[in-house]
Amino acid sequence: MKQSLKIGSLTLAIVAFAVACSCSSKPKAAPAPAPTPAPVSTPTVVTTEPAPAPTPVPTPNVEKGELTGSLSEVSSYLKPAFFDYDKADVRSDARDVLAANAAWLKKYLSVRFTIEGHADERGTAQYNLALGDRRANAAKDYLVSLGVDASRIKTVSYGKERPFATGHDEDSWQKNRRAHFVVTAK
Amino acid sequence: MKGNSLNEERREEKISLKGEERAGRVSLVAAAFALAAMPLLGQVPKPTSPSSAPSTPASGNAQPSNIDLTLTGATSARRPLAIPVTIAPLSPELQTKAVDPFYTTLSDDLAGSGVFVVADPALYPKGMRPPKSREEGDAWKATSAQFLVDTRLSPDGGNVIVEALLWDLGTLKSIMGKTYTGETRAARRIAHTLASDLVRQFTGRPGPFLTKIAFSSDRDRVAGKAVVKEIYTMDFDGENERRVTYSHTLSLAPDWSPDGKSLVYQSYEKDTPGLWLVGKDGTDKRPIPVPTQLNASPSFSPDGKTVAFCGSVKGNTEIFTVQMDGSKLRRLTENVAIDSTPRWSPNGRELAFTSNRQGTPQIFMMDLEGANVRRVSLAGNWNDEASFSPDGGRLAFACRNEGDFQICVMDLASGRTVQISSGPGAHEGPTWSPDGSKIAWEVQRGDSTQIAVGSADGSGTARIVTSSGNNFSPSWVKTLE
Repeated sequence: MKQSLKIGSLTLAIVAFAVACSCSSKPKAAPAPAPTPAPVSTPTVVTTEPAPAPTPVPTPNVEKGELTGSLSEVSSYLKPAFFDYDKADVRSDARDVLAANAAWLKKYLSVRFTIEGHADERGTAQYNLALGDRRANAAKDYLVSLGVDASRIKTVSYGKERPFATGHDEDSWQKNRRAHFVVTAK
Repeated sequence: MKGNSLNEERREEKISLKGEERAGRVSLVAAAFALAAMPLLGQVPKPTSPSSAPSTPASGNAQPSNIDLTLTGATSARRPLAIPVTIAPLSPELQTKAVDPFYTTLSDDLAGSGVFVVADPALYPKGMRPPKSREEGDAWKATSAQFLVDTRLSPDGGNVIVEALLWDLGTLKSIMGKTYTGETRAARRIAHTLASDLVRQFTGRPGPFLTKIAFSSDRDRVAGKAVVKEIYTMDFDGENERRVTYSHTLSLAPDWSPDGKSLVYQSYEKDTPGLWLVGKDGTDKRPIPVPTQLNASPSFSPDGKTVAFCGSVKGNTEIFTVQMDGSKLRRLTENVAIDSTPRWSPNGRELAFTSNRQGTPQIFMMDLEGANVRRVSLAGNWNDEASFSPDGGRLAFACRNEGDFQICVMDLASGRTVQISSGPGAHEGPTWSPDGSKIAWEVQRGDSTQIAVGSADGSGTARIVTSSGNNFSPSWVKTLE
C-alpha cells in the first residue's frame, strides 16, 4: 500500500474506494495486472455510493428476535470494523465483520444504531475528524449494500478524540482505527 | 522619583485597559515623561520580518525539495537591556503579590519578544540607578546591556504604582518614562503593558503581551467517563485561564472572531457535531444551522461575516462557507478525496485547506469561488492545519516527513520553508500572534498534550504554557488590543 502513496494522483483514492467493490483479498495497490474480473466501475461513480456488494451475503434471516439487556450490552453484538492507517477503505477482515453485523441487523429489525468513525493519534486532529467521518460512512455504505436499511443508521466521527486504547504503539493505533457500533434503540 | 529632574517635561496620558481581568479592573495612569522620544524606529529590524537574511539562498525559484532546518533568529539585532528589580523596601506581602510576579512577567515578555536580550541579572551593579555618570553608565554596560529599564514599585492603598524609565546607556539619557497604577493583584498586567510599551518604543508597534489565546481542554472530564473537552481562554503566557463553554461533551477547534469578542467552534452538543458561536465570556451561545455533517474546523472570514468549515455530505468531506445565521451556504470544493481544515487568508480572498487528493494530505489554496486550486506544500508526506501570518505572507502548518509532526513556516512568495519547532512529540495546530512575532501550537508528548508558544522564526526556546489536563487547538486572538 505504501508504494501507492508515491504514485500520488488520484490512484490512491480510487484504490481506496475500489476495495468496497469486489476484490476478495486486500488489494495490492499498484502493479497488479487486475486478475479478477469485475473491472471496478469508474472511480467517479464510487464517490458517493460505493458499488453494490459483491456477495449477496448469508441468508436473510427473517425470524424476529427479542433482545434483552441494556443498549450497551446489545451494542456489543455488533463488532467493530478496523481500518488501515490513513485509509477508509473496507478491508477484507472488516467485510467479514460487517457481513456478520448485517446478518444480525436483519434479524433484529427494530434496532437503530450509530456508527462512530475513529482514528489513531498519529494524524492531526482536524484531518482525523474527516477521516473518521469517511470510515463511518464507508462502513455504513457497506452495510447498506448488504441490504441494511439506511434509515436505521446514523454516523458520527470522533476522529482521535475518544480513543479506545491509549497506548502509543501499533497495537493501540489499530484498535483506534475503527468503525464502532452503538445501538440507540432495540 | 517625583521631584527629580524628570518632572520638567512631563506629559500626562491615560491608558485605559480593558478591565476584564479576573484580577480586577485595572485603570492605569501613565505619566509619560517623554524626555526625548528617540527616533529609534528604523534602526531595528522589525521582529516580524526575520527571514530577511536567509542563510541558504533558495536558488532561484526552485521548488524546496526539503525543509531547511536553519534557524534564522537575528539575535545580533536584538537590544541588550538590563532589568534590575525595584530598590524601594516593600512588605513581604507586596513582594509576593506584586513585585515577584511583576518582574517575572516583565523579564519573560522582554526575553521572548525577539526585540531584546536580557542581560544576566547576576552581573548588575549595586545601586547606580539612574546612572549619573559615565562611570556608572559603563558599569551597567559591562553587563552587556545597552539599555536600562529602571523601575520602582510602591504601594498606594490597594494599588501599586510602577514608575519606569528607559535609559540609553550610551547617551545616559532617558528615552521613555511612564508611570502605571493598578490594583496590586493586577501587577502582571502592568508588566505586560510596560513590556508592550518598550517593544513599541523600538519597533513602532506594541508587543503581543496583552493578547489572549483560546483553546480546547479536557481538564473537566470525569474519570471513567467519555472524554469531554471545553473551550477556554488564557493570556498568551498561560496565565489567567478562563472556561468559556459548559457543553459537557466535545467542544473543539475554537477560532476567534476578527474583533476578538466571540469564538466559533465545533461541538457535539445535540449528538451530531455542529458549528457554534459563543461570546468570549461564555454568553450568547448559539448554533450556526447547517445541513451538513461533521462541521469541523471553523474559520472566521476577516470581515467576521462568514465562516469556512469542513462539512460532510454522504461521507465525503468538502469545504463550505456559511453566514452566521446559516444562510448563503456554499460548497467550494468538489472532490472525492478528503478536503478539510480551511483557513481564511487575511485579505479575505483565499482559503488554505488540506486535501489528500494527490495521495497524502497536503496544503492547497483556492479562491472563494473554489477556483484556482493549487498545491502549496511540496515537501514531506503530511502537511496539514495551515495558518496564515497576519500579513498573509507566510503560512505556518504541521509538517511531517518521517517521525512526528513539527511546525513549519513557509514564505509564500519564495516557497522557502523553515521548521520552527524541535524535539520529541507531535507538534500540531499552529496559530500566529496578531503581531506575527510568535506562534502557538499544541505538542503531544506521551500521554500529555499541552500548548507551546515560540517565536515565529524559530529562535529561542518555545515555552509550554499550559499544565491542567490536556490542552489542544490554540487560536490566538487576531487584534493587538
